[in-house]
Amino acid sequence: MSALGHYLEEEGIPTVAISLIRAQTENTKPPRALWVPFELGRPLGPPSDPAFQKRVILAALRLLERERGPVIIEDFPDDDPRERPDPSWRAPLAKVDSSDGSTTALAAELDSEIARLESAYQRAVAERGRTIVGLSGLSIGKAGRYIADWLRGQTLPSPSAEMSAPLTLRFAVDDLKACYIEVALAGSGRPSSKQIGDWLWNDTALGAAIFALRKEHLTSEDERLKAIAGLFLVPGVRVPPID
Amino acid sequence: MARLTDLPPAAAKRYAELECPQFKTTPWVKGAPLAERRVAIVSSAGLVVRGEKPFRGRDADYRVIPSETRPEQLMFSHISINLDRSGFQEDWNVVFPLDRLRELAAEGVIGSVAATHYSFMGATDPVQMEGYARVIASRLKGDGVDAVLLSPV
Repeated sequence: MSALGHYLEEEGIPTVAISLIRAQTENTKPPRALWVPFELGRPLGPPSDPAFQKRVILAALRLLERERGPVIIEDFPDDDPRERPDPSWRAPLAKVDSSDGSTTALAAELDSEIARLESAYQRAVAERGRTIVGLSGLSIGKAGRYIADWLRGQTLPSPSAEMSAPLTLRFAVDDLKACYIEVALAGSGRPSSKQIGDWLWNDTALGAAIFALRKEHLTSEDERLKAIAGLFLVPGVRVPPID
Repeated sequence: MARLTDLPPAAAKRYAELECPQFKTTPWVKGAPLAERRVAIVSSAGLVVRGEKPFRGRDADYRVIPSETRPEQLMFSHISINLDRSGFQEDWNVVFPLDRLRELAAEGVIGSVAATHYSFMGATDPVQMEGYARVIASRLKGDGVDAVLLSPV
């Protein structure tokens, strides 16, 4: 972001950057930046809190009126209140206990879990009026079956001429993660991202399936598949230490 | 949470040591009071209007986000899985604060909201984005924009 600020300002357009990683902003030295102490992915802070978001955006935009610079790097003083867990939130599905731990059993559990979750997902979309599911171009059911077939060891072609099979796998995983998160966000609870992540990665068949796919393809001879398994399925913070 | 001390040690080291472009100049453009400015958002979240091509790999180009875009049309195709998406899923303003800008314009705090906003994919080496950034600068000027909020992810 800071480099973009540099380029745009050189072209005559005043800029102010929100900064999530202060060390990087200090290195790049943009004209103006507001560092915020929020988690990655949340530059404006808490969702569904317009007043807080407005304080952030105004703190940034007001730097445009400063007479002295460059470089300005200021700190936003307040933490994101939504990083705190909501004790009233309940996970949408109970914890899955894999029957025998095999990938075949896991594939069946995933099929079953998605069948149970699909109507809750449709309700969540209707309630919110939006979804970010859609990168793979597959429906939730088809994305689930595509991942389950990978788990069963089937060599699958891409259903789309525009995407390789490994890329489709990655986007299908992205879509299902997004679907589960939207179900977790439905209702009155206001979970933190950690609460949602703990449920998705520790308690669902989808989480177990993604871990299994990662493990299976980390040693693939297909370099693209190997890269996707290593970098684009499981967030670094959730990767088991033995990996 | 985005304090480096709050991140897993390996991630904190990677972010702290990430090679950043070094510039010989320090550009600085002054402007009118905020109440007279026309403001655009430039995001690095890999945002894409549904139906447009998602970002892949480390694409250096940009996507256009018209101001009339509705929340249900905006997708998130950033390559990194190490950042939260649930905030954006609950409320797009967490990443793309267009509603907040509209409110500030209605309140007279800013002059107006740009007709067009832009997104890059922030995991790309920013040096590769330079040409595209300069194209965007020209488009922003054509729209009368004189303030850009750079929103990372």
